[in-house]
Amino acid sequence: MKDKKILKNLFIGLVLFFLYLPILVLVLYSFNTSKLNILFEGFTLKWYRVLLENRSLLEALGNTLIVAITSTLVSTVIGTVSAIALKKYRFFGRSALNELLYIPIVIPEIVLGIALLSIYTFFHIELGLHTLILSHIAFSLPFVVVSVRSVLNSLDPHLEEAAADLGASPLRTFFHITLPAVMPGVISGALLAFTLSLDDVVISYFTAGPGSNTLPLKIYSMIKTGITPDVNALSSLILLVVISVLTLSTVIKIKRGRKEKAYE
Amino acid sequence: MNKKILVILIVAVILMNGCALKKSDNVLNVLNWSSYIPDSVIRDFEEETGIIVNYGTYSSNEECLAKVQSAKEGTYDLIFPSDYMIELMIKRDLIQKMDLSQLKNLGNINPNYLGLSYDQGNEYSVPFIAASVVIAVNRDMVTDEISTYQDLLSKNYRNDIVMLDDQRIVIGMALLALGYDMNETDPEKLEEAGDWLLELKPNIKAYDSDSPKTFLISRETALGVIWNAEAALAVQENPNIEIIIPEEGFAVSIDNFAIPKNAKHIENAYRFIDYILRDDVMVKIIEDYPYKNVNKKAEASLPESYLKNHAANIQDAVFHRGSFVENIGKDIVLYDKLWAEIK
Amino acid sequence: MKKHDSKLKWLILFPIIFYCLFLIVLPLLYIFIISFFQNDYYGGIIQIFTIKNYIQILDIVYIKVFLQSFFIALITTVICICIAYPFSLFVSEKKSRYKSIFLMLVIIPFLTNSLIRTYGWIVLLRKEGLINTVLSQLNLIDEPLALMYNNLGIVIGMVYTLLPFMILPVYSAVDKLDHAMIEAASDLGASKWQRFIHVIVPETLPGLFNGSLMVFIPAIGYFFISDLLGGGKLMLLGNLIKNQFLVARNWPFGASISIVLIMITFFLVKLYKKIGGKMDDLGGF
Repeated sequence: MKDKKILKNLFIGLVLFFLYLPILVLVLYSFNTSKLNILFEGFTLKWYRVLLENRSLLEALGNTLIVAITSTLVSTVIGTVSAIALKKYRFFGRSALNELLYIPIVIPEIVLGIALLSIYTFFHIELGLHTLILSHIAFSLPFVVVSVRSVLNSLDPHLEEAAADLGASPLRTFFHITLPAVMPGVISGALLAFTLSLDDVVISYFTAGPGSNTLPLKIYSMIKTGITPDVNALSSLILLVVISVLTLSTVIKIKRGRKEKAYE
Repeated sequence: MNKKILVILIVAVILMNGCALKKSDNVLNVLNWSSYIPDSVIRDFEEETGIIVNYGTYSSNEECLAKVQSAKEGTYDLIFPSDYMIELMIKRDLIQKMDLSQLKNLGNINPNYLGLSYDQGNEYSVPFIAASVVIAVNRDMVTDEISTYQDLLSKNYRNDIVMLDDQRIVIGMALLALGYDMNETDPEKLEEAGDWLLELKPNIKAYDSDSPKTFLISRETALGVIWNAEAALAVQENPNIEIIIPEEGFAVSIDNFAIPKNAKHIENAYRFIDYILRDDVMVKIIEDYPYKNVNKKAEASLPESYLKNHAANIQDAVFHRGSFVENIGKDIVLYDKLWAEIK
Repeated sequence: MKKHDSKLKWLILFPIIFYCLFLIVLPLLYIFIISFFQNDYYGGIIQIFTIKNYIQILDIVYIKVFLQSFFIALITTVICICIAYPFSLFVSEKKSRYKSIFLMLVIIPFLTNSLIRTYGWIVLLRKEGLINTVLSQLNLIDEPLALMYNNLGIVIGMVYTLLPFMILPVYSAVDKLDHAMIEAASDLGASKWQRFIHVIVPETLPGLFNGSLMVFIPAIGYFFISDLLGGGKLMLLGNLIKNQFLVARNWPFGASISIVLIMITFFLVKLYKKIGGKMDDLGGF
């Protein structure tokens, strides 16, 4: 019985090892003095300094953040309002609208990417940050709707009615009753939209224009043309930010004494 | 919770404004090959002129065409198509006539490379740099004698070749190996070329146009069929890499400056071209990307390392033995299908 | 309903309707339409109706590309299931505090850039990379192993990038299992395997299928993984579509392949609904 438990833990450990192996390698090599990345020769912080001087890489990082923050904000606002409206109102075309929203979630990204590119070409829309933002909204908005909707479905349907009966205006009801109630769905939807946007390669590949290179696109071309260790430094920094944000949010959660599971 | 959202909003607004401020009108939208002009040259140009260069890249002429064609007119101000692509873009009315009087450094160019068949009066293009396909062999790993493409078929080189990821060049190579013209469109001969490439397939480790030198330097492959500058860079890292000019013939190309129709920053494009044509700037570019130099004035100050590197400094006589890729119209479909077949 | 209310309703619904029309319906409709047009061999589209593009897909060369894509995607999916299923089962047996820590550990790498992680694999897998160097230092191998620039490299990259998409839905299905039912089955004398096959698998099937969809479909289109880890030697559907749009300049043909791909996707989604999967679970981690 005990052996079995060890085996199970070993399996879990191996899977996690597999998931972290390439990341650990990059972090390790970000401190390596050698540029060729094969043998570890000595410890240095040189690549972190080089990173700060790599203007095009930092520009790409800036573009990525602009696109991710803007597209996340827009899709979170529209997605939340729409999810509530789609549940509340009955109207012609409602079920069609609901079905349409699944399309960006299920079809291969490359198809959405070329479809968007073709339509921008068709309407003579110049490619740049704005088309990139539009395209990121296109694939992230449905995820927000789905995420908010799953919380909505578990709510007491009489909540809003009760508020209205007590004389609250629709706007007041929305901000004081409905919105706080669906907040967990809004936050997880927004987080998902944000991470999808940060990491998108395929759709950005087709819809970026001159001067709107994102970090994933920049890294893609760097990997192809010979990477330098400052990219390792950048990835280590990103990892550091991600882990600290997650740890912080967990700590806050525990402090607030919330008993919700971290993952639902 | 609302406070948090407010904070995020404010940060976003600040970021967006920061970005809007930075985007001045004095820009130049360049679309260029992925490894071609060193970052430092671009930075120097920006500092000297105050023009901000937005840089996009492509890894084949076809991709350049696709990007110019699918983007709204006026998106790009300066592109670097090769010979046959210049001809095609003139035909399709994608690039505009140049005002050569704007270029005071035009006289620096070697006259042998002006007025070539793809744009006889240099009305639309100005040559930038030339390249030729070579075979690179790491002599630490392979000692056999190699002088032709046919030699690459040997069973000794299983999974040991890196090849340009370019359908016209690779299929053209097979046609040359079989003794045909590099731009052949006869379906039967193309089929033969396909069979030849299938025979070669087990020897190919990877197709890569962006940085095949990495494969040679890291000893991932012993051989490469690649552009001369990539080979030259590999030689710099490992002097035991030998360069072979294939006996059956080889592809050559000349890349040019061209200005797309309705470009929005034409003045800046001319300033950039003129800057690159300066001999001292050209030397800097050649040092980082040792292609074949076509700038006569720059020749005087080329470094010893370049002149001695056979891969970099391809002689004119050798260069003229090569063939240019030509436009083949709708027969491109045959090449496209063949490409899907051999991959 | 009051007129005022109706106006407000449409005002609220306007953004989402606008979004659906301009960012979903119109682009896909446009792709559908040009898939029936002719191309003029250098990027132009001639507006003459033809079904030639669809017939061209049936050419043995392109059928081969479809088959190798599906093969790679299928292997990726199967390996992901083999890793994610036991992993989820084992984690779900843990105390709830550990459960959330383990899941967090699965999500963290997925929040860093996927291309950077792919690059990490290049450092590990190449001929003189970390794995080969370590193995040869330990005298375990004489010749370096060919770990990348082949199908193995592509599959490693795909499994790695897509594994979280399998673990999350499978885990949430496994975690919801009715433990009372499993115990009841064992009280009735069902053996471990019987219990697994007849109780656990059917209960978790929608989650399993959900994960498979989220792995299989992207695996068809991720051209960058076959470019970087496969050495550009294997043409997948993603590469073929990308080539038609960016190299061969045959948009109508590229569009027709995309339409076929959408059809296949819809078919798989239908299948998923048939076995009891809920649409909302597809995007919901």
